[in-house]
Parts: sequence; structure tokens; C-alpha cells
Amino acid sequence: MMKYKVSVVVFFVLIATIGCSSTNSGVGALPSGEYETRVYEVFGMDCPGCHGGVEKLIAKIPEVEKAEANWEDKQVAVVVKEGVELDDEQVWDAIRRANFTPGKRIK
Amino acid sequence: MKRFFCCAIALCAVLCAFLSSANASGISIDAGLTPAEDRWIVRTQARYMKRKGDPTHMGREMTTYAFPTVVAYGLRPDFTLLVKQAVMHQDSAMGGSRNKTTGLADLFVLGKYKIYRENTSEYIFGTAATLGMEFPTGAETFTSNTWDLVPGLYASWRSGPWASDLGVSYAWNGFADRGRNNINPGNEFSLDWALAYQFSVGSDSRASIAPVLEVSYKNISPDERYGHHVSNTGESVLYISPGIKFTKSSFILEALLQIPVWQDQKGMLLERGAGVIVGVRFMF
Repeated sequence: MMKYKVSVVVFFVLIATIGCSSTNSGVGALPSGEYETRVYEVFGMDCPGCHGGVEKLIAKIPEVEKAEANWEDKQVAVVVKEGVELDDEQVWDAIRRANFTPGKRIK
Repeated sequence: MKRFFCCAIALCAVLCAFLSSANASGISIDAGLTPAEDRWIVRTQARYMKRKGDPTHMGREMTTYAFPTVVAYGLRPDFTLLVKQAVMHQDSAMGGSRNKTTGLADLFVLGKYKIYRENTSEYIFGTAATLGMEFPTGAETFTSNTWDLVPGLYASWRSGPWASDLGVSYAWNGFADRGRNNINPGNEFSLDWALAYQFSVGSDSRASIAPVLEVSYKNISPDERYGHHVSNTGESVLYISPGIKFTKSSFILEALLQIPVWQDQKGMLLERGAGVIVGVRFMF
């Protein structure tokens, strides 16, 4: 039985270590220079775990290079690919499909 | 002969009392909020439960380790599909002899539908309904042997650092058939309420930690056979469970101590002791 207990503890410590060490590029890693960065209001995010859902859906838009959300600021930063036009409605639709409510475009 | 018959009935009753096991839900945060479309969530837990306090003085004791894994997928913004499978290990003792069993529990498939959600700059409020089906696929010791229908209703509220979740569910056990020996397993009613306060960790809003307090009530009706209650079945339990939840981007680590503050065990059922739940969630 001791072996089982030790195995379970080791498993969860391992998983926790992997989870905690999962890196995120952070706002500073957003491409700069020629890229256009837009910022939209997002209501409905209540913890850091919410970021991934909305970032994934916005990043699927072909014109988007990268998206990064911040639940405390209630915002998502969207980097637009070079030389393309991004319709705000595409971003708002992605925010709605993440079960959040889009606000106004801040930048 | 009569003595042998009485002994056989007593043995059956004791076994029934042994096998009856139910879990209060544990960590019901976010229950009323459906995840984003195309979002995968994998959640696995280790649960430790102990039953003791044998009223028969036969020295019975039962320890259960459950390892449920839930895989959820956001099919649409308003609909999530969840599949749960648990691996169980049970260690029971009676009068100096021990019995250890390991096996799969019943497969559980659940659909979660968003009824209403309001996101504002001040608060978030969401309600969701669930409908689940438990299939009798588990190992002999851990299966209910019946097809069980489980409807539920959940509400979640968030305001600033505060989070509160309320859930009610009803397990209609054996709704489509009868179990082994024509025994219709008792239905289960659960009421769960959770309160959490979230602190942001670090300066980049990518991690948070939240102390959690859950209150769970569970009532299991006695099993029935030919319209009569089966002895040593049925229970009511009230848990108060302090815990903690750590969230970092796509990863959640959660732990909960379940303390049974009140319980009513029928017949010779063993009393529930404190339980521990440790779980992780990956979201991608």
C-alpha cells in the first residue's frame, strides 16, 4: 500500500511541476515593429485559466499573428499579420464563442 | 438450518453495508460556467475516503482510493461534452481478515448546456444544466449494475476576487433497468455550494491562488427490492470542506479536505471519515 501512496504523490508532484513550469511568452514577447497590435475589452474572464480559450479562438483567425489575454485588465491584445486587413467583428465573434462578452476596441 | 439462514442474511447485510459507497462531489468551482468552444479540459484527481465506526463491533473498516479522470470538450460555446472514468482501489477489513480490490468504476458520460450567462465589468453570472448517464461497465465491486440517469443544475457567480458556485443534482439510479438480484439501487440527491477568494500571484496576471470552502450535502435513498427497502442501505452526509486552488495559465492544481460534520447511516453502514482530494486540470 505504501508503494501506491508514494506513486500517487510522485505522480501529482510531477504533474504540478510540469504545469507550473509551463511557460508563457508574456506580453513582452508579442511581436513588435511592423506588426499592428490592437487591444479589445473582454468581459467574463475570471481567472488566468480563462486566457487560453479566448487566445486560441482569436489566434485561429487567419489574419491574426498572436493573441494574448489578461483577465485582471479585462483585455485581449491581438497582433495582426503584416499586410492584411482584420475586421473587428471577427475578433468579437471569437470572444463570444469563448463565452465572454466583447467590449469596445481600446487601441 | 434456521441459524444458518440467519447467519447468511446477516452476512449479506454486512456485505451490502460494505459495498455501499457514494462520493460528495468535491471542488465544484466553475460548475455553472461552460468553457470556450474547441476547448479541451483534462482533469484527474486522487481521492482518499475512509469508512469506520463499525456499530456491529466486527472490526469492519474500509479505505477507498479513487482516481477519476474527466475529459471535457467544448463542442459549441453553449455545449460541453464530458466523459469520466475512474480507477478504484478498495481495502476492506473485517474481523482480522483483509480484502483488497482494484478495478474500473462505471463509465460516466455527461452533456453540459449553457442556459444563461451574463458578463459585465462588475460581475459574471452563469447557469448551466447537465444530463449524464452512468453505464454499468465497471468491475464487479465498483459497478452499480444499472444504467443511471443524472440531471443537474448549476449556477456560478463572480464579482472581483469572490467566486461562488451552487449545484444541485439527482442520480436516478436504475432508471432503465434493475440491478443484480432485482435490487433497485437508491437514488442520490446532492447539493453543493462553494465559495472562493482569489489572489493574483506575480505581476503578469498569469497565476492565481484561491482558498476554497465547500459545503456538500448528499442523500442516498435506501435500495429497494420488490417495493421494500433493503436493510443497511441509504445515508445522508453533510460535508464542510476547506481547500485551495492554484491556477497558472492552462493548469490548475486543487486540493480539498472533506470533513463529514453530520451523517445519518442506515442500519449497519459504516460511518464516513474525513476524505482528501488532490487534483490537476489541464486546459488547452
